[in-house]
Amino acid sequence: MDNYLVKDLMVPLSEYATVQEGSTLYEAVLALEKAQEEFDHTKYRHRGVLILDKNKRVIGKWSHLDALKALEPKPDDDNGIKGLSQFGFSSRFISGLRKRQRLKAAPLQDLCSTTLDMKVEDFMQATVEEQYIDHEASLDIAIHQLVLGNYLSLLVTKTGNVIGILRLADVFAAVYHTMKECSV
Amino acid sequence: MKAIGKLFDRIVQRVNINLRELAYDVNPFIKGLIPFRQFVKFYAFYGISPNHPLDLQFRHSNLAGSYFLGKCRVTNSILYKSDIRGDELKKEGDIFRYPNFEIPVSKDERIDIEDSILIKTLVHNFSHDPETLEKFFITNTVSFHYANIHGSPTDGSFLGPLATVDLTTMSDCVIGAFSYIQAGEISHLDIAPGTVWVRSPGNFNFLYRYPQDKLNQYIYFAQGHPPQGFLIDFVEDRKESFQPVFDAVNIEPSVSIPQSASLDRFAVIKPKTHISDNVLVAQRAFLQNAWLGKGANAQENCYIINSRLEGFNVTAHGAKIIEADLGQNVFVGFNSFLRGKPDCRLSIGKGNIIMPHTIIDIKEPLSVPDGHLVWGLINNADDLKANSIPIEAFAKIKGAKKQENMFFEGDGAIFTAAFQNRIHHILETNGAFFNGNNKRGHAQKNQNISFNTIQPYPEGEQVGVYPTIIIRP
Repeated sequence: MDNYLVKDLMVPLSEYATVQEGSTLYEAVLALEKAQEEFDHTKYRHRGVLILDKNKRVIGKWSHLDALKALEPKPDDDNGIKGLSQFGFSSRFISGLRKRQRLKAAPLQDLCSTTLDMKVEDFMQATVEEQYIDHEASLDIAIHQLVLGNYLSLLVTKTGNVIGILRLADVFAAVYHTMKECSV
Repeated sequence: MKAIGKLFDRIVQRVNINLRELAYDVNPFIKGLIPFRQFVKFYAFYGISPNHPLDLQFRHSNLAGSYFLGKCRVTNSILYKSDIRGDELKKEGDIFRYPNFEIPVSKDERIDIEDSILIKTLVHNFSHDPETLEKFFITNTVSFHYANIHGSPTDGSFLGPLATVDLTTMSDCVIGAFSYIQAGEISHLDIAPGTVWVRSPGNFNFLYRYPQDKLNQYIYFAQGHPPQGFLIDFVEDRKESFQPVFDAVNIEPSVSIPQSASLDRFAVIKPKTHISDNVLVAQRAFLQNAWLGKGANAQENCYIINSRLEGFNVTAHGAKIIEADLGQNVFVGFNSFLRGKPDCRLSIGKGNIIMPHTIIDIKEPLSVPDGHLVWGLINNADDLKANSIPIEAFAKIKGAKKQENMFFEGDGAIFTAAFQNRIHHILETNGAFFNGNNKRGHAQKNQNISFNTIQPYPEGEQVGVYPTIIIRP
């Protein structure tokens, strides 16, 4: 696996879906759809949108899971459930309350329409130092960082600038390919 | 003030060390709250009677305006206008019952306060921790106005104004203003103001949290300011009435007291007050046009004004009842505030349990039906509906219930039985059931207590510090 370098597996930033800080969730969804249409369909599909600041620097990532989180009832609507575990209530009790609350919430269509105008940075995962990796790093190092941080992707840098994304799916494909070669 | 200043800094540092995990700094809350000159202004006093053990030890402490009864040791501490009531401590030979254990008490229990600052705090009852049966300790702790440390060994903790910790061993916790905690054992918790939490692991768990914006009108405590809000104003407005009872050596009761009742000489009694048989009125209680039926009690820091209590009522520490009529066997929990108006009275039916730290503050007449469990903030009939439930219905809960801001998990029958048993026990301990011969309690035992005063160095390096004093029979 040492033969693989991060730069061989990454998706170049230019091919990835990006939006500016301040964009709405709807704009993020459109960017994701556009990137998917333009992308090579023989590869894995896009699973996120990068958020750029005004200097085009990556400040966060908005994933499928973040999109679903936006549909969940907000802390203001949490109805006091938040923090119950501190008081020794069972997880069964708390999850039962959450289910009941979700059922009482607005139907999905209503939630979608109210969610679309929300700002993408309110739901993105801000980047942290451990999510960056140099483009010349080996696949072993990349695997270690992904596993340690439980990440779905890493931001690939060259002289300090983000030039691409290393996705878990592409790393797994490389590992799978290597395993197959070994078995022959 | 050098010595008292050093003592103050030492205690604050010790508390902060204990609370470092919660990143809590008590200094901005307490600095300047009580001017050091106040520590010299008031004498401390203690009670002696043939019905209570006597073993008091004070070392390197300030005790301004504080009261002591029973067995108590205070070391390296500042106790400002606090009540340390050691009249319910365990005695040598008692058997302490705890699930799966019957533990003999090897020596008389003692309240042991060390490296702590207690401001206008009540310490009462006995340690419920099987690991420390003979020592009810309070160490490295700061507590603020009208806090209650009730049967709760406490270490490294911060109690905000009007906070109560009841039958709970606590270490390294922050308890916000007006929170009531009865949870057996807790550590490293930061409890928000206005949290009412009653938990018996494996049996039940009750939680109510006040809406912060509404609670702030009643009690608000922030860094750099004394406690604020209506509950504080209410007490401060009546502070002057206590001055004469603390200034005079001998005071004749202004009302007729039956032989079976007890009226503490440090209580304030205003006109038109009636006291029936077996009534107990504790020190720092305030009664004005109050009718107390047989076996009713008014504990420390209680205010009962223009109200009638039909009998066998428990008005727990710090509770306030204004313009209200209470049926028999009504329990009003710690620090509760029940206020009607002259033209719209509050009526509480018989057998009600008003949970600790309940606020009922109305602008139109309100009646609570008989036999209800009531909690939280109630300003009108809709709030009452949201924050109450018939005790019989509550007892049928098995599993889970959420009602507005109240969460309950467990066995409702065990919960209600625990409350009812405890109310009965309080009445029994207070002597409410005394029949002329048997079932004596505080109302009968506390009738003849002599009070002695002690004072600190008036000037010099040690000004404000009391000399080492040991008082024994």
